[in-house]
Amino acid sequence: MLSWLLATPGRLYVVATLLPLAVFALLLIGGGVRAVCRPYRETHGFARFCYFFLGGHKPLKSGAYLATAGIAASAVLAVIGLVRFLDDSHALSPIEVEHRWAERTSWAEVGATESGPAIALDLGYRIDHLTALLFAMVACVSTMIFVFSLGYMHDEMEETHEDHEAHVKRPGRYGRFFLFLSLFCFSMLNLLIADNLFQVFISWELVGVCSFFLIGFYHERRSAGLAANKAFIVNRIGDAGFMIGLAIIWTYFGTFNFQEIFTKLASDGPPMPAYLFAIAGIGVFLGCVGKSAQFPLHTWLPDAMEGPTPVSALIHAATMVAAGVYLVGRCYPLFSPDVRLLIAYTGMITLFLGATIALVQTDIKRVLAYSTVSQLGFMMLALGIGGWVAGLMHLLTHAFFKALLFLGSGSVILGCHHEQDLRKMGGLRRKMPITAFTMLVGVLAIAGTPFFSGWYSKDLILSNAMGFALHDNQHMALFIVPLFTAGLTAFYMFRLWFLAFTGQPRDHASEHAHESPLTMIVPLMILAVPSIIVAWGWPLWDPHSSSLAHLLEHAKPGMANGLDREDETHLAGWLALAAAALGVTTAVFIYVLKKVDPASIQAKAGALYGFLKEKWYFDEVYDAMFVRPTIALGFCSARFDKKSTPAAQAEVADRTMNVTSLDGVLNVLGLGTLAIGGKLRVTQSGYIRRYVTVLMVATLAFVAVFVAVYFVG
Amino acid sequence: MTELGLTPYLCLGAFLFCCGLLCIATKRNAIGILMGVELVLNAANVNFVACARYVPQFALEGQVFALLVIVLAAGEAAVALAIILNFYNNHSTVDVDKADELKG
Repeated sequence: MLSWLLATPGRLYVVATLLPLAVFALLLIGGGVRAVCRPYRETHGFARFCYFFLGGHKPLKSGAYLATAGIAASAVLAVIGLVRFLDDSHALSPIEVEHRWAERTSWAEVGATESGPAIALDLGYRIDHLTALLFAMVACVSTMIFVFSLGYMHDEMEETHEDHEAHVKRPGRYGRFFLFLSLFCFSMLNLLIADNLFQVFISWELVGVCSFFLIGFYHERRSAGLAANKAFIVNRIGDAGFMIGLAIIWTYFGTFNFQEIFTKLASDGPPMPAYLFAIAGIGVFLGCVGKSAQFPLHTWLPDAMEGPTPVSALIHAATMVAAGVYLVGRCYPLFSPDVRLLIAYTGMITLFLGATIALVQTDIKRVLAYSTVSQLGFMMLALGIGGWVAGLMHLLTHAFFKALLFLGSGSVILGCHHEQDLRKMGGLRRKMPITAFTMLVGVLAIAGTPFFSGWYSKDLILSNAMGFALHDNQHMALFIVPLFTAGLTAFYMFRLWFLAFTGQPRDHASEHAHESPLTMIVPLMILAVPSIIVAWGWPLWDPHSSSLAHLLEHAKPGMANGLDREDETHLAGWLALAAAALGVTTAVFIYVLKKVDPASIQAKAGALYGFLKEKWYFDEVYDAMFVRPTIALGFCSARFDKKSTPAAQAEVADRTMNVTSLDGVLNVLGLGTLAIGGKLRVTQSGYIRRYVTVLMVATLAFVAVFVAVYFVG
Repeated sequence: MTELGLTPYLCLGAFLFCCGLLCIATKRNAIGILMGVELVLNAANVNFVACARYVPQFALEGQVFALLVIVLAAGEAAVALAIILNFYNNHSTVDVDKADELKG
């Protein structure tokens, strides 16, 4: 076992990936055994022992600790792996690195014919700078979130937990939460180390289903169930595109392996007609649109805030939504210039959309959700305009500070006794100083304050955008809109912070707020550190010298070279800084100095306010365009199928013959047979003479017919 | 003595058959029905024997079938009488119209 592990250093990553899966399996088996033993706990001694050993009536606390230990071990391995990989990549030649850090094995073989060998579906891992960095990020952020959850989900440890929103009492689900969280971590890590699209797709779906489970964690609440369904269904739309892309790639390349595809592409160009190549690219991108909540499939992400806050932090800020951006980065050579332009414009629309909606939201988690949508738009835009490094660097930095912000909001929500409305908060700075301070770090980072991690990545994005726009004047919007949005970002993030933490408490919930327990504070403090330093480089004041960017530069696919046109004058950076400063100043004027009353702005721009408040009416439009027609179609089918009747009369309807519907036809068949049988049974009189008479007459009739046919015909 | 030919025998068979059939169709007494059945069978026997005598290619088959039908009639009579006896034991009558418990 150990010798297998030490054979190649890359196997560190395999172990780190499989650890959460092992924890998941253990928890699942433990929970299963407990459930099986439960009915026999009074009668069988062994069952009783198993049942109470595995926690009895209460959720098993040690399961959560096990899960946390598992992911922490993964994080340690990931960091060790990262350090060793960076060492290797310095010291060794690329071929040696490839040899030491990539492996694959054949999993299943398909399509063996007499003329040709089977094509193998592989399982494998391949570590490069992108994977190593993202892997370390996901594992570390997940660890912090697990620790935070230990405190945040404390309510769920009770034997009977009362859900105040759904008004039901139910057993606590402490263990189940960590069960799904572990499975999620495994899927995400597996997605990152995968060396082929097929493995990515499996993890992709696993991530999706975990997200479904966790959004619907409070499934007694109708809203949570609906949000879970929405997230799942919207993601299916994207995945349909992804599968089309996969099918095209499989057909023309005959492999899913990233390296083989890219080598073929680099040497011979796409082996398919240009339009199919574009469709494959758009298909894969559509999958990313669904997962990364890009316009027009962004509507699921804000609704996903129905899940517990650590889930929002883990899935809907730091990792899962990052999967889409990661895949765009990973499959970069698959995108033709036209597709890249599509990606850029999708990102541009998304980032503007998200930011404008975030301006007026009053739910603290929804502000953060829309800010996530907006930031993901920034990443997509950067990737679309050729700023490969910029987009993925923003993904990394964003993961840290957005996890920090979400965990901070979780701390605020718990401190205010599950109050999420910003209008009812205020003055929390004095009640929960550590949360306030760490969240300020996150806010500064996302706003793009110099020397915070967000500054480096956002600067790089805008600088790329400016280079692109200057090179090609007709795409000026790709620079102007992000620049404007950078100001909006600073405004709405500071709005959030000012509303929550400054001024006077506006509600008794925030008056009686208290600082959260240590298990929740410590992750905040730890996450605040990378939120500041993760992108640092030397010299510190030059955003273009970020060490993170240089590391990512190594993993850049060859075809992305020369696509990024940075502006060397730093003008974009200064403009972004000015926009952010303007945003912050506005926020200070409105929410601290109170020079302008937000209510008066609302009154003056009522239509616009309503438009933004209702999220650009996307849900309504989709409702009218897709949901209602689907439901109407369902009702039509039901009408065709069955005469629609109130439930009370359904019994009667089933007994009436109605040939106008499918159900009616089937009923006629059944009821008709019954009726004919009822008529015919009378002839079974039991009188022999009647039978004989019938027999006689029938025979005579046959003979008569026979004679008639024989002699006449 | 002149040969009568096949036709009178067939007519006799047909007459016997009709008598038997009418007997089956009209009698309520089980024994009567049994007698009707015997008549029908013997009508067939007359035909077999007549055919054996007058149709050269049925010379052997006709006689064999006549014997077969006699044996069959004996078996049938034994079974039918046993049934009738049991029916009488249970219902104290041999009226077949009373045997209607299984009707639909």
